[in-house]
Amino acid sequence: MVSNPSDQETEIAIDVQGIRKTFGLLEAVRGISFQLKRGEFLTLFGPNGAGKTTLLKILSGLTKPSSGTAVISGYDIVEGNPALRSEIGVISHSACLYEDLTPLENMLFYAKMYSLESPRERSVQVIEEVGLKSRMNDRVHTFSRGMLQRLTIARAIIHNPSILFLDEPYTGLDQHAAILLKEQLAQLHTEGRTVIMTTHDLDRGLEMCDKVAIQVRGKFVCFESGQDLERTSFLQKYFDAVESNK
Amino acid sequence: MREYFNHVKAIVWKDCVTELKTWELFSTMFVFALLVIIIFIFSINLSIVNSYDVGPGILWVAFIFAGTIGLNRSFMLEKENGCLQGLMLTPADRTALYFGKMISNMVFLILMEAMILPLFMIFFNVDLVSHLGPLLIVIFLGTLGFCALGTLLSSLSSHLKTREIMLPILLYPLLVPVVIGCVRMTGEILAGKALATQLKWIGSTACFDIIYIGVSLLTIDHILEE
Repeated sequence: MVSNPSDQETEIAIDVQGIRKTFGLLEAVRGISFQLKRGEFLTLFGPNGAGKTTLLKILSGLTKPSSGTAVISGYDIVEGNPALRSEIGVISHSACLYEDLTPLENMLFYAKMYSLESPRERSVQVIEEVGLKSRMNDRVHTFSRGMLQRLTIARAIIHNPSILFLDEPYTGLDQHAAILLKEQLAQLHTEGRTVIMTTHDLDRGLEMCDKVAIQVRGKFVCFESGQDLERTSFLQKYFDAVESNK
Repeated sequence: MREYFNHVKAIVWKDCVTELKTWELFSTMFVFALLVIIIFIFSINLSIVNSYDVGPGILWVAFIFAGTIGLNRSFMLEKENGCLQGLMLTPADRTALYFGKMISNMVFLILMEAMILPLFMIFFNVDLVSHLGPLLIVIFLGTLGFCALGTLLSSLSSHLKTREIMLPILLYPLLVPVVIGCVRMTGEILAGKALATQLKWIGSTACFDIIYIGVSLLTIDHILEE
């Protein structure tokens, strides 16, 4: 473990070394290693069942790796330091919101769980940021998929995390909601957050990324800079990688 | 430590606000407990059987069966929309999550019990008022044991597809010592004996409560992890 992480001015936000995860005989993640600097945006592509969600669950501390290490913002994920969880915001397949509560009540609850100093003020602020202030006191179960996703973003950033993990955030969104989400993600990126996003959408995935990776059958078969990446050649590379690892 | 209590308080607050909006847990538990008591009233001839002999057992059967429904629903709320994952992502200690859920379950169960007791008194024609103090102590000890173990096992069974079946199968055998103690103490109290004469049962029930809580604190971290 890196000592006294809060004092460190390290450039490396995420340092993953040889992470593996097995479920019985199934090896979901097979020795993945990479580094991300602060403020970098990594888009992770891969077919279904490639282990992308498992990798994000490991990095967010929800699942322990079978072997390997990962240091995030100076904290070793294996040690499960609660301070690490304050550094991370996660948008997963689930909204993690209580449907019978209002957005304000949901945010208030999470603000209290993150021990924020002014929970009410921060809750209102973050709801405003995602454009749901007018629906702040309606129950969440009345929300559309797009509104729910925006509220999920609010939940993920309420504690102002420096690192965001987004697991297929565009799934199930209509065009309008997807554009709104894209704008919000761009905003989060420009605020200097380190982001890892998994997606199947090549266009949206390549738009914002600084780094791009392809994960197939539990391992990275490609990890390169996303700058000046040509879409057609990347698409070919993606299909080649998937085909060769069948 | 203050942060820890704030986390526990936040979970209890969230569960209470949800319940105040839906009345889902309380109404289900109350109706079920009432039905259990009514079924027993019709199946037992109270002119032959002494209410004071059968009453305590029926009362605790009603509490425990109804409470099991509440426990099942309680952790299901956390599983819906991945809320449990959301909780696990917060820096809150896992044991704070356990205590928060346990206290919420206790609050709803005690409310239900408070509503059932007067009805039980009327239906079975037993005098609870003159024994209310000792009876409340026994009910508190029993409810604490039930919720301590039940919260742990409902968090465990919530990962299973057959959760509604698995919870009672896991819970009831382990709860036997507490149920026996509570039924015996309730019977003795209704028969007019002082609680001081029940020290053996009080001690054993309190011991099991402590054991359930201790085991829960030691294992909850592993149970909640995916």
